[in-house]
Amino acid sequence: MMSFWPFKRSFNSEHPFFNPIHPMIKTTLFSLLAAGGLALALGSTTASADDSTVKVGVLHSLSGTMAISETSLRDTLLFAFDEINAQGGILGRKIEPVIVDPASDWPTFAEKSKQLLEQDKVAVIFGCWTSVSRKYVLPVVEKDNGLLFYPVQYEGEELSKNIFYTAEAVNQQATPAVDYLLQQGKKKFYLLGTDYVYPQTTNLILYKYLLLHGVPVENIGGGLRKDADGKVISAGKYVPFGYTDFQQIVADIKQFAASGDACVINTINGDSNVPLFKEIVAAGLTPADCPVVSFSLAEDELRSMPTKDLVGELGCWTYFQSINSPENKAFLTAWKKWLETENYPGVVKEKRAVDSPMVLSYDGVYLWKAAVEKAGSFDVDEVRAVLEGGGISFVGPGGKVTMQANHHVTKTVYIGETKANGQFKILKEFPAVYGEPFQLKALDEKLAAGK
Amino acid sequence: MRLPPFSLPALARAVGALLCAIWAGTHAEAAPMGDGAVRQTLVHAVLASGPEQQRLLEQLSASGSRLARETMTAWTRDEILIYVGPSGPKVPVILEEQQDAQGKARARRLDDGSVLRDPQGIELRFAVGDLDSVDTDMRQRAAIQQALDALALSDPDPDARRSAVVKLGNSQRTHYLPLLRARLGVESDGAVRKALQAATALLELGGSDLTSRIAAVRRLGDLAAVGAVDRLKQVQAAGPPPLAAAATAALARIERHITIINFFGTLFRGLSQGSILLVVALGLAITFGLMGIINMAHGEMIAVGAYTSYVVQNIFGSGFGFHITLPFSFAGHPIAFGFSLPGLNATGGWYESYFLFAIPLSFFMAALAGIVVERTVIRFLYRRPLESLLATWGVSLIMQQAFRMIFGANNVQVNSPAWLLGHFTVHDVEFGYNRVFVIGFAVLIVIGTWLLLTRTPLGLFIRAVMQNRDMASCMGVRTERINLLTFAFGSGLGGLAGAFLSQIGNVGPSLGQNYIVDSFMTVVVGGVGSIGGTVSSAAAIGTSDQVLQQTTGSPVMGKIIVLCVIILFLQWKPGGLFSTKSRSLD
Repeated sequence: MMSFWPFKRSFNSEHPFFNPIHPMIKTTLFSLLAAGGLALALGSTTASADDSTVKVGVLHSLSGTMAISETSLRDTLLFAFDEINAQGGILGRKIEPVIVDPASDWPTFAEKSKQLLEQDKVAVIFGCWTSVSRKYVLPVVEKDNGLLFYPVQYEGEELSKNIFYTAEAVNQQATPAVDYLLQQGKKKFYLLGTDYVYPQTTNLILYKYLLLHGVPVENIGGGLRKDADGKVISAGKYVPFGYTDFQQIVADIKQFAASGDACVINTINGDSNVPLFKEIVAAGLTPADCPVVSFSLAEDELRSMPTKDLVGELGCWTYFQSINSPENKAFLTAWKKWLETENYPGVVKEKRAVDSPMVLSYDGVYLWKAAVEKAGSFDVDEVRAVLEGGGISFVGPGGKVTMQANHHVTKTVYIGETKANGQFKILKEFPAVYGEPFQLKALDEKLAAGK
Repeated sequence: MRLPPFSLPALARAVGALLCAIWAGTHAEAAPMGDGAVRQTLVHAVLASGPEQQRLLEQLSASGSRLARETMTAWTRDEILIYVGPSGPKVPVILEEQQDAQGKARARRLDDGSVLRDPQGIELRFAVGDLDSVDTDMRQRAAIQQALDALALSDPDPDARRSAVVKLGNSQRTHYLPLLRARLGVESDGAVRKALQAATALLELGGSDLTSRIAAVRRLGDLAAVGAVDRLKQVQAAGPPPLAAAATAALARIERHITIINFFGTLFRGLSQGSILLVVALGLAITFGLMGIINMAHGEMIAVGAYTSYVVQNIFGSGFGFHITLPFSFAGHPIAFGFSLPGLNATGGWYESYFLFAIPLSFFMAALAGIVVERTVIRFLYRRPLESLLATWGVSLIMQQAFRMIFGANNVQVNSPAWLLGHFTVHDVEFGYNRVFVIGFAVLIVIGTWLLLTRTPLGLFIRAVMQNRDMASCMGVRTERINLLTFAFGSGLGGLAGAFLSQIGNVGPSLGQNYIVDSFMTVVVGGVGSIGGTVSSAAAIGTSDQVLQQTTGSPVMGKIIVLCVIILFLQWKPGGLFSTKSRSLD
């Protein structure tokens, strides 16, 4: 199942043709620039780095293809640090961010995390977006016994003693969405995704999940691929990154949906979604007949999409900007105020949206803070023991999040519906969903037991 | 507004609505509820919930009222807003389209259609976000949709009638049968009649009488009803033997029909994909094919066209502006510039016509960009084609960065006009408007290009210069100017492609990069220098790609096979489909 497709969610292809500057040159250039920038930015504070501050690593791409998504997470982290520092810091020590730029280049993620842990001796790292970048950082944090908080929805099937996953596991996004659609009387499910590890794994889990919930094989659309023994190894229809011609696929969906009660599960990433939805609208597939639930479209992505074509389609996350809770309102007000007053270089101030990866990033900082305060120490082993001990929780903008012994987080899952203004209207919430990273094996066992 | 249970007017209204509904039920065809009664029922339906709302919706669905349809459509779009007056009652309103300078509009009351006023009698005005909309969830919208579908049975537009019939047929609710049968009695449109027959058959299949069920299955087979496949398969698997046998026969007929639909559908999709390839490659066929410039910036000319459409859209909307601060400063002063264009705040059809203005403007903007590039870079490189590759690549990078600075690194939103969304159906084969449009568009610009090249003095000069620059110059042709115009024309064609691509895909800084490879592929396969070759190769690549997608069932495999075939083909015929013999290429 392991594949090394480069991205979880991205907006562009990494083909050398599209990235005419050689990655090595790019990396070197950027590290030079970043080093220069850092020296300037931190020149005065590092000198006085002692017991009054604690160093924290921020490992997000600020250049390259992923910058478009990851800079938002850097901004959220800086916001959280400022908020905590304004309240007196952690254990009386102010947070001192060490920002590095892995430049959307996966080996650089490993290099930079090593630098953060060995040179800067940071207490914790917040970072990574794509699964492949996390896979590169994993051996480094395990070797140097560091801590990494990972905030973006992912495919599961991984557990490292040095990584805490505030991200949505498959059972906190994909399966609740399917539960909701089943409740709404949907009987036919068409699986569609970009061809890499996250959609492949998610769809395979969903395929088994649907079978387990009594959906017959012929009602699962998109096609199946089997290995020599007839075991299903891939379910659904896949397109490459940046694919634009969805005519055939939408015609296929239309025939699939002709008999009613059908829906589409969409794990297509990035801007391929635009031609997909334009084709869906042109073919007259309305959400009332055949809704599309997308797992990679959050508020941040919707900013650059023709949302008129998406009204009524579904999304599923553990946070929506439209959540009507005092915590979320306070968070949004504080965030807006911070954007107006902060003066970090490179933070975009206009037309900002907040979405789930950003909030999970923010939650991660506060979970770590709570654990440090309970442990009374920044020591990795002590903090980990507290986090694993359960009971570390934080009431964040998306509701209460609680760290579990398996390094994943119990949180509220929301199903929402896209509105013309690029926000979601919340249709349903599943409170306190336990994060379970290993789905495939359990589903296989249940299916075998059912037979 | 929950009316007090014993208020007399409410009671009277409810009874009135009920009577109307009963009357409407008995006169299924054209049972006009008065507008007043419709309005009251609508208000009740909007404010009610659960089964009560369901009941009211069914009443409305039998009313045959256009007003009900318009209001309910607005409802599904969350356009019905709730005004809570100072005295408390909730008043459902709809904002008028006409907005004033502050972006505010008058609100029309749902209950009597009058303009909403405050107690002093002054008209109230609201912006879009001022009032909360009546919340609808998916289930409610499905219910409203079903009511709308029943209403749509009397729609003047046959397509709307047909899709409504199909939905009712799939609903498996036998209580729609009388409604559908009544409609069948008066329906004159062939396609709608066919859909009505299929829908009634589907509903009858859900009945209990075996003979009529078998008859229904047979009818579905005769009608080749694609939407019935799942139902028939169920019946085939679980129904009593004679019914199952009838279902098997019917399924075989439908399968044959589907094969035919897919064949023609694929052909059409191939043609449309070919047209897109042609549209993006035609400009390159001029700049690369005729002029011999390896123009790596062609993709960015396409992007110029697409961004022009975006800007025109915004000018028709709320205006467009940008502000750039350069990342370096001069003598301590940061360098910044920007400008803004006021918006026309157009709405409705006028707004949607932006695309018609965007098409010629895209051509001119891209042509302008072409002129600039030609004057500053390319004119020095006519005799050095390989250097032109590097130079235009540089130009392409500069232009991409310029897009990022002006429009941001994110993609921008381009909304398609309503007349490009949607489709029509001929014998169950679907033709999307945007796809038909691109085919027509491609045909037009090919004819235009052909006329320009063969029927105008400019075309004559272009051909002369491209064949032999020196000789043409000796004959008194101003080759400099012809070069400039030809390059501008080729770039302009790229801009036209961009205008169209903005309607079906993304508009972002790297838009051009996604099409440059396809463009070169089309031109090279067609034969460099031959417009006819580009047309044939675009059609061939598009069609074979779609056919292979259909047969292999995988979008990636189709593309891979096409690319392999192209590689082999170019080994066999390096000059492409139609290789031209001209001195400029020797």
